[in-house]
Amino acid sequence: MIKLSGIRKTFGKQEVLKGIDLIVEQGDVVAILGPSGSGKTTLLRCINYLERPNEGEVAINQLKVNVKRASKQDIHTLRKKTAMVFQNYNLFKHKTALENVMEGLVIVQKLPKRQARELAVQALEKVGLGGKLDEYPSRLSGGQQQRVGIARALALNPEVILFDEPTSALDPELVGEVLAVIRKIAGEGITMIIVTHEMAFARDVASHVVFMDGGVVVEEGPPHQLFGTPKEERTRQFLKRSIQEWSYSI
Amino acid sequence: MGRRFEFGYILEFIPKLLDYLQITLLIVAASIALGLIVGLIVALPRMYHIPVLKRISAVYVSFFRGTPVLIQLFLIYYGLPELLKGLSIDASKVPVLAFVILTYGLHSGAFISEAIRAAVGAVDRGQVEAAYAIGMSGFEAFTRIVLPQAAAVSLPVFANLVIANLKDTSLAFTLGVMEMTGKSQTLGMTTQHFIEVYIALSLIYFVVSMILERLFLLAERRMLKYQPELAGHTSKKRLLQGLFLPQFKKGGEQA
Repeated sequence: MIKLSGIRKTFGKQEVLKGIDLIVEQGDVVAILGPSGSGKTTLLRCINYLERPNEGEVAINQLKVNVKRASKQDIHTLRKKTAMVFQNYNLFKHKTALENVMEGLVIVQKLPKRQARELAVQALEKVGLGGKLDEYPSRLSGGQQQRVGIARALALNPEVILFDEPTSALDPELVGEVLAVIRKIAGEGITMIIVTHEMAFARDVASHVVFMDGGVVVEEGPPHQLFGTPKEERTRQFLKRSIQEWSYSI
Repeated sequence: MGRRFEFGYILEFIPKLLDYLQITLLIVAASIALGLIVGLIVALPRMYHIPVLKRISAVYVSFFRGTPVLIQLFLIYYGLPELLKGLSIDASKVPVLAFVILTYGLHSGAFISEAIRAAVGAVDRGQVEAAYAIGMSGFEAFTRIVLPQAAAVSLPVFANLVIANLKDTSLAFTLGVMEMTGKSQTLGMTTQHFIEVYIALSLIYFVVSMILERLFLLAERRMLKYQPELAGHTSKKRLLQGLFLPQFKKGGEQA
């Protein structure tokens, strides 16, 4: 179980997160929706301390990391329990697809190379890139790079995978292949938190949907409820506009 | 000045000067090695914004970049022993070569630190975040992710530094070090064939620079194999052509 309590974050004078509480159960697929600037990416980055919150506590199972007492060791442990898929993929440019996936297994988890290689190949096969093991990121399409990014996260076998707008930087025709991979691993019971703009995807794949705006959680619930019968006016507005945009694009 | 020009002397001088090439290369190799260590130490406080050290680094860099290396040679060769005398250390037995290597090391260290700073700054922030996100420590992220990419990017700048350093070592003769330029002075004096000796000398510098340049290009291609479009283009065939260019010999004959 992942539990965020009272997460606050300010950039300069601007308060981006105004005290967020969130509980994610084991095996949940949580989608975080919201307009740009609502703080959803910042919230995700607070979970693995890529952004250090100003206040609050991040708990993953037994490990509780409170900002006030967070030591380097705590943050390190937190990061080992999580994995992240980035908007811009952030694959290690100087390493092949296989080396990208092996890096964390060998350097962080200290697995022997052979075993790391086996796990990495498995992960890459799972995302449909078994034939691209020795390619450098610069030779892969955006969709392929992002799938390597997913394999890199998956291979670490973390307690939770954090997805930061995984399809936002992709050409429209490549979005599908990445979403299909996420959908596939969501079915395997891995806990995931996904910040996304893909409404249809969130509705189909998520077990729980969170709508954020202005640094607070406006509304959350199971997808059929949030999409079907939203309680808050702000949620209705947002969904209406997004779904309109979405139908335009078709 | 000197005697009538005779082409034969050029060929005669080349092997005599080549005997001293190793001293020149020793100065280059040792001072670049020293410069790398100094450069990294000097770059770190400026990259991590360490208050006082950052200032010292900046002063060091601007001094060694802002004054001629010849003056630096004199300052260190004549000044440092005086300074050490004050600390009651006797530096009179230290060979001149050590002062020369120290000067060129400190000199290139200043330039190398700037190259490191620029190259590390050029590595995408996302690379470090990805390293942290999979649980790497700061040290692991720097050595395994940032440094290899920064090194690959800075290789062309580094190549320039090494070649500039090679040519700068010719100033070491002013302190009486018998490297190639020092030897050519003596050869010129004794034979009175100055033009021939300088032609021979410049040919050697030129060929060595050329070889270094090509080697760096190869290294760059190797290190940038993950992004070949960024690497300078060269092929094995062009490498050989560069070394044994026909017009290169012609140039010698005309001169």
